[in-house]
Amino acid sequence: MSKPRVAIFDFACCEGCQLQIVNLEEEILNLIDLVDVVEWREAMSEQSHEYDIAIIEGSITRPEDAQKLEVIRSRAKILIALGACATIGGVNKIKNNFDLNEVRECVYGKDAQMPHLNTEVTKAVDEVVEVDFKIHGCPIEGSEFAQIIRSLLVGKTPFVPDYPVCVECKAKETICRYEYNEICLGPISRAGCGAPCPTAGWRCFGCRGTVDDPNVEAAQEVMEKYDLTVDDLKQKMVLFNTK
Amino acid sequence: MSVSTVTKEQFKSFVAALVDSDQNVVGVQAKDDKFAFGELTDANALRLDYDVTILPPKKYMLPQREALMNFEVAGAAESVQPDEKMVLLGVHPYDMIAINQMDELFSQGEYDTHYMNRRNNITIIACDVVTDSKNVFAASMNSATCDTGYDILLTAIGDAYVVDAATDKGQALVDMMSGANEATDADLKKREAVHEKNIAALNKHELECKPSFLPKLLEKAYDHPVWEERARLCYSCGSCNQVCPTCYCFDVQDEVNWDLKTGTRCRAWDGCLLTNFATVAGDHNFRKKRADRFRHRLYRKGKYVPGKIDGQIACVGCGRCVTACTAKIANPVEVYNTILETTELR
Amino acid sequence: MCECSNGNKDIYLPELCTITKRRMLNGTELFMHLEKDSGEDFDYIPGQFVEASVAGIGEAPISISSSPTQKGLELVVRNVGSLTKVIHGLEVGDKLGIRGPYGSTYPLEEAKGKDLVFICGGIGLVPQRSFIRYALDHRADYGDITILIGTKCHEMRLFREEIALWEERKDMTVMETIDEGHDCWNGNVGVVTTLIPKVESHLPNSQILVCGPPIMYKFVLMALAEAEVPQENIFVNLERRMKCGVGKCGHCQMNEHYVCQDGPVFRYSDLAHVPEAI
Ligand SMILES: Cc1cc2nc3c(=O)[nH]c(=O)nc-3n(C[C@H](O)[C@H](O)[C@H](O)COP(=O)(O)OP(=O)(O)OC[C@H]3O[C@@H](n4cnc5c(N)ncnc54)[C@H](O)[C@@H]3O)c2cc1C
Ligand code: SF4
Ligand code: SF4
Ligand code: SF4
Ligand code: SF4
Ligand code: SF4
Ligand code: FES
Repeated sequence: MSKPRVAIFDFACCEGCQLQIVNLEEEILNLIDLVDVVEWREAMSEQSHEYDIAIIEGSITRPEDAQKLEVIRSRAKILIALGACATIGGVNKIKNNFDLNEVRECVYGKDAQMPHLNTEVTKAVDEVVEVDFKIHGCPIEGSEFAQIIRSLLVGKTPFVPDYPVCVECKAKETICRYEYNEICLGPISRAGCGAPCPTAGWRCFGCRGTVDDPNVEAAQEVMEKYDLTVDDLKQKMVLFNTK
Repeated sequence: MSVSTVTKEQFKSFVAALVDSDQNVVGVQAKDDKFAFGELTDANALRLDYDVTILPPKKYMLPQREALMNFEVAGAAESVQPDEKMVLLGVHPYDMIAINQMDELFSQGEYDTHYMNRRNNITIIACDVVTDSKNVFAASMNSATCDTGYDILLTAIGDAYVVDAATDKGQALVDMMSGANEATDADLKKREAVHEKNIAALNKHELECKPSFLPKLLEKAYDHPVWEERARLCYSCGSCNQVCPTCYCFDVQDEVNWDLKTGTRCRAWDGCLLTNFATVAGDHNFRKKRADRFRHRLYRKGKYVPGKIDGQIACVGCGRCVTACTAKIANPVEVYNTILETTELR
Repeated sequence: MCECSNGNKDIYLPELCTITKRRMLNGTELFMHLEKDSGEDFDYIPGQFVEASVAGIGEAPISISSSPTQKGLELVVRNVGSLTKVIHGLEVGDKLGIRGPYGSTYPLEEAKGKDLVFICGGIGLVPQRSFIRYALDHRADYGDITILIGTKCHEMRLFREEIALWEERKDMTVMETIDEGHDCWNGNVGVVTTLIPKVESHLPNSQILVCGPPIMYKFVLMALAEAEVPQENIFVNLERRMKCGVGKCGHCQMNEHYVCQDGPVFRYSDLAHVPEAI
């Protein structure tokens, strides 16, 4: 049986998720044994190229990116969105809270109107093309990436939790941030990361996006029970959960 | 089997010797300003004056995640049976009662070797509560004290412990304690006083009926508005399940190794409050509403599980779910009392 | 590592079986015949299910479709998810892990001498076939046998050849209907409940066995209530999420009942105070 061909593409992101893959060290050697990794630029120049698995990192912020992504989709059997930028738009979406011209002015000053700096509303990958699987997180969790890839290679549907971070946080016996009247987005955020933030004493800021059916109305009412306000909560959510 | 008394200093020497031996010793230790069971490497770290641990000791009989079998992909499997021995130090009476219930549930009907092997390999040194936690209501659930399940029960009286050996395994350990003398009548009186104190004090939330009445009460509460009123704020986060000493639902998942030829079938804690706990193919969810799932937990504790274990109520009043629920809705006493106050009972 | 502990077997350990026959019954349902690698035969009663698994992929409860009067075990698997997709890719000679049988059974003894009416919706025919075949192999023990089968569309019909053979028999009645009409179908059109008034057996005295998708039960049970069938005479075969199959994992619970142990076959009158059931 020929090895599955894997191509990795990056759009707007910090490439931190690719770093997480590289950090898998010994495991990455296993992976390289099992698949053929095709570098993305190479793949794009050879029009005939097909790949079994396309991994997309980063969010879509320019019209030409969207076109490129559509080509990738048409050539890939399985398309995976990797990391928060790709799965939910990630931190790149913060700019959607502002007027786009303002964003351009602010970032590029007088060069703002140059055509190559054209910026659009930030989109997650699944807002542009159909996504088969999402590997959440900012950055992704290496062991979850490995689990999902192994599942795909063995022909199994990868397991991606649809329950909140609290499940993994409690399993690790962490002290809940709410015991200290601190806001934590764990109760509405998607698990899978193993709750590293609360475990280290920080609140979860929801880098994996929300569960499918987050009880956001409850969150707003619950805040009052801790003498916190809805605004406190919204402030925490803007980082990763801007629509 | 004996009831003896040792000074706290002597007991500490005993724990130090235990830690130094090749036994695996687990005990309660501080975790910031809270407490947790963990491997004990220093007798000084043992905190038998703790109020409550974040997770109950069930994690040693039913770990968060455990291997059930190793397999060849698409081929045969070989059972993984735990066989590690352990001394578990500092189990409170309410947790002891919860363990007794779990022992019954995992051994009745189909005998679960994974749970039972772990359980049978654990020697339990229980201890009466010294400091009450902020949400404990064990007294309301008749579990402020316990009288079975442990190998040894410790009761702190001043600067000594009354050491009650209940099994041969326990007696063997007591025989290792230097300075252990037969408990005097005065010591036993003091122990009695501790029990009386705990029966009064471990009651931060007071259930307004006898726990044995709960199954009857719940017969009339299925359509009570309390489920909807409370579950409106439920995050379906399952924290109330995870921290509960009597929750034992689990999921089973296969993990494949990098060789893609071998792997492990694991079981992991699950929780009936989680959205997809009862979802089947075609996305049909048999417990779709938050209120349905919220109600299920309180029926499990107050009616369904009691039906499997001779009426024992499956809430031992540890108060952990009260603390863990970030929405502050999970308190079983508040729920049961609301029903009591608003239901016509004949 | 040993397989037993204190003389107790590991209840989660599957036994390897080999697929000896396989064929697609329609676009989504795969029929399989299995034999144990140990050479022993399967020991089960109609109504029960097994936990079927492919190591590395997962495990799922699957109804037994064969009758203990025949050799081997027959299963029908619908391609709906992770495991079932992989099972659909298996060939003759490939292995499947099997645990069980588990759960309650059809009332084989109690039904003796009585008329049997099977009401099957879609894949609900699969477990019913176990009792149907058993009853046909013990034909003298039972009264009239009537089988009502409802399927969504013509293409989805299961066990077509076998049903054709049943239709030819003089000692049983088979009525089929499809929800949506089709050119190559000249039989009944409409949901399965439309067949109930056509049954010639005296319904209130028959043993009625019902199995189908969740929504079907409500309508069938309403129709049976109208026909004044006592609830004691109705048996339903229910499906729930299951993980362990042995009353531990909690997934299949339906109020105080465990579908994996108290079910999957329930006497309808026992479910009167089980609001989560139907
Ligand atoms: C008593 C009984 C008898 C049965 N008999 C048969 C039979 O004869 N033939 C047959 O084909 N089927 C039968 N089933 C149904 C079969 O067991 C299920 O369809 C099973 O889920 C298939 O497994 P899968 O891995 O292919 O699907 P899965 O990949 O498990 O997915 C199926 C669905 O289950 C849900 N799901 C699964 N896992 C999760 C999760 N971790 N989190 C959230 N949701 C999840 C989802 O809604 C998903 O769409 C029976 C079920 C029972 C209880
Ligand atoms: S998801 Fe986070 S870590 Fe990954 S590339 Fe985007 S910004 Fe970087
Ligand atoms: S710290 Fe956050 S993630 Fe952890 S239990 Fe509390 S709310 Fe949930
Ligand atoms: S705990 Fe929250 S913020 Fe931290 S990695 Fe997990 S989802 Fe992201
Ligand atoms: S229901 Fe709550 S109080 Fe009762 S035993 Fe469980 S965690 Fe403790
Ligand atoms: S802990 Fe509270 S919010 Fe979370 S599932 Fe339980 S009841 Fe709901
Ligand atoms: S399937 Fe696990 S309890 Fe029924």
